[in-house]
Amino acid sequence: MRRKLPSLVLAVLVALATAGVATAANGGFTPVEPASPNAHHIQHAYYLVLGFTAAIFVLVETLLVVFVVKYRSRGRARAVEGAQVLGHTRLELIWTAIPVVILAIIAGFVFYELPNIDSAPAAADPIHITVEGHQYYWQFDYPNHARSIGTLHVPAGAVVDLKVVSPDVIHSWWIPALGGKLQAIPGRINHTWFKADTGSYDGQCAELCGVFHASMRATVRAESQQAYQHYLTSWRGTIGKQIWNGVCATCHGNLGQGGYGIAIANNSLLTQKSGLEGILRNGFTGPGGAMPPVGETWTQEEIDALAAYVKKHIYKSAPVGATSGG
Amino acid sequence: MAARSEAAYPVGWKNGRVASWLVTVDHKRIGILYIATSLVWFVAGGILALLMRTQLATPNEAFLTKNSYNEVMTMHGTTMIFLVVIPILAGFANFLVPLMIGARDMAFPRLNALSYWLFLLGGIILWLSWFAKGGAAHAGWWSYPTLSENFPFTSPGHGQDYWILSLHVLTLSSLLGAINFIVTIHNMRAPGMTWMRMPLFVWAIETYAILLLVALPALSAAITLLLLDRTVGTHFFIPSDGGSIVLYQHLFWFFGHPEVYIMVLPVFGMISEILPVFARKPIFGYKAVAFSTIGIAFFSMLVWAHHMFTTGLPVGLDSFFMISSMVIAVPTGIKIFNWIATTWRGNLIFDTPMLFALAFIALFTMGGLSGIFLAAFPVDWQVNDSYYIVAHFHYVLFGGSAFGFFGGLYYWWPKMFGRMLDERLGKWHFWLLFVGFNLTFLPQHMLGLLGMVRRIYTYHHGGIWEAYNLISSIGSGVMGVAILVFLINVWRTNVFRKGVRAGNDPWLADTLEWYTTSPPPPHNFDTVPYVTSARPLRDLRRRLAEQPQ
Ligand code: HEC
Ligand code: HEM
Ligand SMILES: [Cu+2]
Ligand SMILES: [Cu+2]
Repeated sequence: MRRKLPSLVLAVLVALATAGVATAANGGFTPVEPASPNAHHIQHAYYLVLGFTAAIFVLVETLLVVFVVKYRSRGRARAVEGAQVLGHTRLELIWTAIPVVILAIIAGFVFYELPNIDSAPAAADPIHITVEGHQYYWQFDYPNHARSIGTLHVPAGAVVDLKVVSPDVIHSWWIPALGGKLQAIPGRINHTWFKADTGSYDGQCAELCGVFHASMRATVRAESQQAYQHYLTSWRGTIGKQIWNGVCATCHGNLGQGGYGIAIANNSLLTQKSGLEGILRNGFTGPGGAMPPVGETWTQEEIDALAAYVKKHIYKSAPVGATSGG
Repeated sequence: MAARSEAAYPVGWKNGRVASWLVTVDHKRIGILYIATSLVWFVAGGILALLMRTQLATPNEAFLTKNSYNEVMTMHGTTMIFLVVIPILAGFANFLVPLMIGARDMAFPRLNALSYWLFLLGGIILWLSWFAKGGAAHAGWWSYPTLSENFPFTSPGHGQDYWILSLHVLTLSSLLGAINFIVTIHNMRAPGMTWMRMPLFVWAIETYAILLLVALPALSAAITLLLLDRTVGTHFFIPSDGGSIVLYQHLFWFFGHPEVYIMVLPVFGMISEILPVFARKPIFGYKAVAFSTIGIAFFSMLVWAHHMFTTGLPVGLDSFFMISSMVIAVPTGIKIFNWIATTWRGNLIFDTPMLFALAFIALFTMGGLSGIFLAAFPVDWQVNDSYYIVAHFHYVLFGGSAFGFFGGLYYWWPKMFGRMLDERLGKWHFWLLFVGFNLTFLPQHMLGLLGMVRRIYTYHHGGIWEAYNLISSIGSGVMGVAILVFLINVWRTNVFRKGVRAGNDPWLADTLEWYTTSPPPPHNFDTVPYVTSARPLRDLRRRLAEQPQ
């Protein structure tokens, strides 16, 4: 026991110090600052569970430490027996009943919060957006057939209904500030929603989807109505670049210099639209590894935009003058 | 060891130092083989964990490549579950169940040997898969399709096939073992040992075995269908051809959740044996502890979809699985409180087994409480598949199962080998492991809440993310040192024979295994006393004390 006390004290001090520093920086004692009603209500449920579990934690650990200190042997021989108590039915019933009550309260509170988490506000007229998880990028389809890659543009304060799908493997959509996760499962259509305050929110795919799972990031940009409308009309101008940066660069490097995928900056396929289209739509396996059919679901327009972009900016681009990379 | 030579086989070569272990059908030797093999894989799996923690210590680290990270991660998880925790518990059960119930051996000794050799084979198959075409499996320990299917950009090559084959073999091993345990426990108990006088560890093994029988076939089904998809072109789990991924998830988790309890119920049993002996008291509420084991086992078959809250199940189903998961917390809570009450007014002796048992209670409580967050499904939508989960299940599997089996090793080592592990080194082992463990896994709760998802080989965030990750990696190093201390202790005790010789009953314990010599002779007991309570050895000591010669 003499050995145990200093370490315990030390552990508590270290924990307190870390906790102090961490809280100061919002260091992960609650989910990230919510920016959407569903995330807010999840946060409420989190606090309730935290309250009860923290209390039980303190109770259990305190009892344990107190008993350990109080009933330690103090040099009594091993043969000396402790009190031969076999049990105590009433006590045992009490510590069965109290958890039942606590859990019932938690479950009740979850049901109370659930409508605010699970379903979007009824009155609102939501914007429907399809979120498609791909190896290894997120693609967003807007009501007017506009599209974006990696960054989702929405008007702040609008209810956004997300249809979450995947054509290849399971991914999981998660922007921590905007609510919980939802898997994008091939063969299934899942729905979630958010209503974001103005700002930019990062997240990343939460289900292992292959080698570049760690690179599958997404950003939601909740902006003014004008900025949103502007994107819907101007997306064609940037889609080639978005695709290069959001899709190809992950494997081929920002300038096509190679990385996981082979160096393609000097590959003449970049200038042959139909050849390029073939490998984008069907994938390609060769000596340098396997490239997934990243462009399976792209329109002709997008393929054209990408082809134009790579021809101009990537093919034989001198590293210095290249404009890509942002 | 003198007693062992009695077991002379009529055939000469079978008595050799090595050969006698290869042909043994003695449950004690098989148990020791199980434990030794599991410990080897524990070290191997631990090295994989250290590789991962090195890679994750700082942002944008390039120590492991992304391909190898996924392989290492999958192999670590699969190894720790299927080659460490389950088999080491099977090893304890093999060694202890016949001794605790006063039997001569298991009901089917040859079948028992087969279980062990299948386990070894399954493990070798898994680890050979590093050399498979395309590398080891890399779709995570649950191998969800379509990532685990045979497409160029999911899991081509043969690593995944090896993984399936290995799990099939291991499943067979566990099923045979489970049948053997059940038959043994039902039929071979000593005279007077009614169900209510059975050691709590034996209760735990009974339920562990039943759970294995119920849960494993679902795993076999799932991975058989996966194998067919991969090799003969069926499409059970390929949605573009009409298959269903969610079906795989259901099958897998119908096995996967009971699996969690398979890995922890026997440890509950060990704790229920160790605590009373070092508190010099009976267990508080024997019946409550025994029946809560059964309650947990039963409900563990009704909660599987809490692993699927983010697949978009109907809210009604989510609600059902929330409630059933919360129900499980109640019998678990009963156990915790009963254990704590067992220390109340005791004469607590802090030998190493007791330290591990107390730490088990402290750490398992943490893992159990973080589980409540996961049961409340909207909260799970936030924390699922993040580092919060990684922290949660390591508190349960490492803080729970591993701390428990280390306690068990220190406690039963003298019975297994006739020598005590060194107490000083034992305490170093314990404290290093305890500190290292909390350093490693406590900060991961925060990382998960901050948004760090699991199964990523790197991250680019600095600041608090980097700090927590670094602390976590440092902690893993401290745990590595702790395990080294343990290995030195084993080496010193058994190889250099420095360990103190133990008599029959060094701890003044309660159960029948301490009635015979340490180590026990091949036939275990010359005579078995008539059992009149759950603590036959204490009864015996008291009877002896009452009638001085
Ligand atoms: C997941 C990683 C990955 C992504 C994303 C990716 N590629 Fe590839 N790509 C590869 C690999 C690997 C190869 C090498 C295949 C081989 O030759 O074995 C390759 C090869 C190529 C080639 C050469 C084919 C040939 O026949 O020489 C071109 C051109 C190419 N990719 C273009 C692209 C473009 C354009 C994009 C973005 C739309 C893209 N890739 C996205 C991995 C990727
Ligand atoms: C008995 C001991 C242990 C068991 C049973 C265990 C079990 C597991 C399991 C099942 C996984 C999940 C793998 C997957 O998702 O496919 C995992 C992941 C992991 N474990 Fe362990 N583990 C143990 C010890 C350790 C130790 C000691 C460390 C640290 C030093 C560690 C570090 C990790 C890491 C870093 C991951 C990856 C997490 C992720 O990205 O999902 N584990 N472990
Ligand atoms: Cu992913
Ligand atoms: Cu579970």
